[in-house]
Amino acid sequence: MGWIEASIILFGGLVALMGLGLPVAFAFLGLNVIGALLFLGGEQGLPQLTRNAVQSVTSFSLTPIPFFVLMGEVLFHTGVAMKAIDAISLLIRRVPGRLSVIVIVAGTVFSAISGSTIATTALLGTLMLPTMLDRGYEPRMAMGPIMGIGGVDMLIPPSALTVLLGSLAGISITGLLIGGIVPGLMLSILFVGYIIVRAKMNPALAPAVPEAEAPEGLARWLPFLVYVLPLLLIFVIVVGAMTRGWATPTEAAALGATGTILAAAAYRGLTPANLMRALIGTVAISGTILFIIVGATTFSQVLSFSGVINGIVGLVAGHGFSSLVVILGMLLILLFLGCFVDQVSMMLITLPFFMPLVTGMGIDPIWFGILFLMCMQLGLLTPPFGLLLYTMKGVAPASISMQEIYQAAMPYVFFGLFIIALILAIPGIATWLPRLIGQ
Amino acid sequence: MRRLSAAFGRLFDLFAIVAAILLAAMVLIVTGDILLRNFIRSGFIWANEVSEYALYFMTVLVAPWLLRRGRHVRLDLVLAVVPSRVAWFMEVAVDLAGIATCLVLLRYGAIMTMESWRTGSITIKNLVFPEWWLLAPLPIVFALLALEFVFRLHRLFDGERGRRIEATSVG
Repeated sequence: MGWIEASIILFGGLVALMGLGLPVAFAFLGLNVIGALLFLGGEQGLPQLTRNAVQSVTSFSLTPIPFFVLMGEVLFHTGVAMKAIDAISLLIRRVPGRLSVIVIVAGTVFSAISGSTIATTALLGTLMLPTMLDRGYEPRMAMGPIMGIGGVDMLIPPSALTVLLGSLAGISITGLLIGGIVPGLMLSILFVGYIIVRAKMNPALAPAVPEAEAPEGLARWLPFLVYVLPLLLIFVIVVGAMTRGWATPTEAAALGATGTILAAAAYRGLTPANLMRALIGTVAISGTILFIIVGATTFSQVLSFSGVINGIVGLVAGHGFSSLVVILGMLLILLFLGCFVDQVSMMLITLPFFMPLVTGMGIDPIWFGILFLMCMQLGLLTPPFGLLLYTMKGVAPASISMQEIYQAAMPYVFFGLFIIALILAIPGIATWLPRLIGQ
Repeated sequence: MRRLSAAFGRLFDLFAIVAAILLAAMVLIVTGDILLRNFIRSGFIWANEVSEYALYFMTVLVAPWLLRRGRHVRLDLVLAVVPSRVAWFMEVAVDLAGIATCLVLLRYGAIMTMESWRTGSITIKNLVFPEWWLLAPLPIVFALLALEFVFRLHRLFDGERGRRIEATSVG
């Protein structure tokens, strides 16, 4: 069988099983059974398939995932996040589009502690959206920032999906985590600028409400020092421990999780019940990610043995495209997939092909990795199936249509595309910080 | 059938709680290792290895529970647009495909585990133990997953003729 027939069977099978609605992990598993029979030596390949499944998640490079997810879950289940929002809103006053700006700043702080985008969007949507709509904010002005900043959560460490990308692609996990900081912050700043300009041009979008008498001086700053600064300190410890080489990503993540639990306890927010909720929430999210890995790990092996990878990589490499054209092609594929497929599957389907090309053409893996993350981040926001759009639909009042949610997310999608173009033009945006620490 | 399904539901809940405790233990062990290494210069040399195994056990422990709760991510773009009767037939096909896949993996996982037990394979890193200790949970989990797909199928026939609402991403 040639590689073209093999790719039709493997990708056709995957599309059919996933399209049917079989959970992604089981679609990969089912296809691996077929692939092992066809390409891994028939029935003998099947016990090997199960051995691979065990080895796939017995991996030290994946252990940061549950720890990073746990940090966010603790933050949200113990009420610490709400106190942080209150503290931030005391500091941000007399800014056009004030509540939207607060959303961006609070979301950026949360993304430095949380490894999960849904959690951030759902939390900000639940806490801030009703207030914003009550105060007469135009729905798009209220929902857009919440979704936009939810996507940024994936770029700013800690981020579970970044760890997974590094582990699957064989790119330095520390390098990727650190490399996401600058693009993430750039997006946050762009969002704030956009909100202020929009609100200034058309104040009806975000009516300024006279605030109640607010405290001044120390009373204004104290909540920030008490509730926000320690969270940022945890971020500094996690990132610092990794970049200084004191700790592996796993160890830094474990320190972060311990730090977050201790902080929640210090704020008297921690109870056995909400700690258990956070732990259960974490095993649910990480279990979902890791079980897909169990299913998909042999997939790349099957692709390789069937000759599909060599075939496609050879086809692309043989055309003599420049590396920029190849990267653009890969990014377009990712943006397209992002509209339909979840982030973990995106990585598992594309990385077996992309990484040999990246290595073969001498493309900087961290630069490529950050561009990959940006595309996955946009996949959270692009219609028709962007996850954060649905998260927003889930927490927004019933009167808000899906159409309005799409429109609200659009400006933030354009900012994402703009940053992608910028990173393509100036790779240093992604690679400067990782280089600085020797990654 | 319903009582059997409820009994397994409770078992899966218990598994999830065990996984949560395992996660808490992982955090404690890795943090403890770092602190000990830095303060008294001797940590747990087995810490990394144990957390790798814990990650695997956690993953397989929650898999049936996630299936029961519809938390295993899937694509619903076709299911969402076809008439609900067609969607229902697709759901039946999904469960049958799930049962078939899990049974194949149950069979070969069991064969592999028995083989490893028979030949006395040993896992040697910092900790030394028979390899089948690691392999055995896999066929057990696929047996439970196959069973849960049967329960899902049963619920499907009990319920309305339409699609199920389940998770579509992990974010």
